[in-house]
Amino acid sequence: MSKKILVTLYRNEVAPRFDLASEVLLVSLDAEGREAKRQELVLAHSSADDLCDLILDREVSVVITGGMEEEHYHYLRWKRLTVLDGVAGLAEDALTRHLAGELESGAILFPRPEAEADHA
Amino acid sequence: MDNTLATRAFLEPFAGLAAIGLDQADLPRILRELPFGVAVVDRERRTLFLNSVLERLTGYTSAEVAGVPCRHVLRGSFCLHHCPGLAASRAEAAKTACPAQGRSAESREGTLINRHRRKVFVRLTSVPVLDKAGALLCTLDVIEDLSALKELEGRLTRTAGPGAIVGRSAPMEHLLRILPAVAQSDAAVLLTGESGTGKDLLAEALHRASPRARESFVRVNATPMPEALLDVELFGQAGGSEGAAPRPGKFQLAQNGTLYLSEIADMPLAQQGRLLRLLDEKAVVPAGGERPMRLNVRVVAATGRDPEALVAAGLLRQDLFHRLNAVRLHLPPVRERGEDVQFLLTHFLGLFATKFRKQVLGFSEEALALLSSYDYPGNVRELRNMVEYAAMVCPGEYILPEHLPPHVRFPKPDEPAQQPPRVKPARKKA
Repeated sequence: MSKKILVTLYRNEVAPRFDLASEVLLVSLDAEGREAKRQELVLAHSSADDLCDLILDREVSVVITGGMEEEHYHYLRWKRLTVLDGVAGLAEDALTRHLAGELESGAILFPRPEAEADHA
Repeated sequence: MDNTLATRAFLEPFAGLAAIGLDQADLPRILRELPFGVAVVDRERRTLFLNSVLERLTGYTSAEVAGVPCRHVLRGSFCLHHCPGLAASRAEAAKTACPAQGRSAESREGTLINRHRRKVFVRLTSVPVLDKAGALLCTLDVIEDLSALKELEGRLTRTAGPGAIVGRSAPMEHLLRILPAVAQSDAAVLLTGESGTGKDLLAEALHRASPRARESFVRVNATPMPEALLDVELFGQAGGSEGAAPRPGKFQLAQNGTLYLSEIADMPLAQQGRLLRLLDEKAVVPAGGERPMRLNVRVVAATGRDPEALVAAGLLRQDLFHRLNAVRLHLPPVRERGEDVQFLLTHFLGLFATKFRKQVLGFSEEALALLSSYDYPGNVRELRNMVEYAAMVCPGEYILPEHLPPHVRFPKPDEPAQQPPRVKPARKKA
């Protein structure tokens, strides 16, 4: 079964806030879980309510975003969506990690000093 | 380094601090124990440190977010387009000559969303930290939690704010009767009435009683400014080719809500034309853009002058007037509201007596006679201010004539009653 993933965008990053996102990346996966289609949408204005409407209209099943208010989080969860919020990092990284089954809410994907030190 | 008198004067008080060895102080410990949130961010706006208060406020520890761009830690409403820290550090980078001048801190109020999905009202002040040569080292972002203040403000607005429009005269009763029905429709509304009659209040009451009440109510005052600037202010600006962020105009900010144009005739004719198109097509093209943006905004316009005369004088487009005039609500001046004067006096006295915690029970007969015979050229606004003044200065239980402003106590016998402002014809461009 195909599924759609929506990532809120700020430049090439996951938007820090769901309610302030003015661009989104919509990725459709085929039945095998491979990327079938990719679309970037520019929104007329930032609004969490309108974004929720768009998510439901487009039959999105996974939302990857930054900070999100409880009200919208629970609304989308109640609509049986997977919501990965509080994600900080590049949008592409977040998508790749999700497809690999490694992304969780609150994940910080930006390189950090101790992570760099571990690699060294 | 600048060694002018002004610079030396600014640095002098700090010489004593250096003498006691403050430059050896444990700065992180000081910051950690401050009673407000502090984040230290580097020149690229990456987080270096959060103090204890900010760790509690954001839900993150310093170690978890070290090196992460601060917009992903604070998640402030000001982070994406109006980051005060970025503005402050840019300003400091531009002037490296004099540390004494590098004191500018930028402040902004907004909200942040923390790790626990809670929205918090905050004020962010970004203070650039410079070395002795004036080069930017880092920025201190000071964050104050305004939640308690906002809650109090909200409570006060609900109880003592503009509140409902009041009146018992026949024209006001008619207005209040039709208000709910008008509020429910999405039609554009034209409010007319002299200055001080309550057009702003009526526009807000229309919004609050409408299905759009949960959305924004945006007020626009088309004050004189260059047309191109007004265009951007009203209709927004499209994002530039060099990655410049798009700027929303007032119409975009009022999306799904109500836009209130407080004096329609102040708007230049070109913008009136664009407004008319927006009302017809429900779409707007931002300045510098090509693609129209769909908008769902209810427009309420007001004028303190006679709209028909404005059309005749060429200050208001006739087609726009006909479009707005579909629903027209007129607020009568106080001098035509007869019995309302006493009602309004009592109403405002109750309001201000409570506000000033005074035991004022009413007006003396003499004071009431003076107030009833006055013609209130400033309308309800003037009446309200007059009662506020009287309640403030009255020490006893009744407002006496001496508690009223002199122009009410000693009216000039031949002073003509103020007429509504006349409409001057539009000046033609040379």
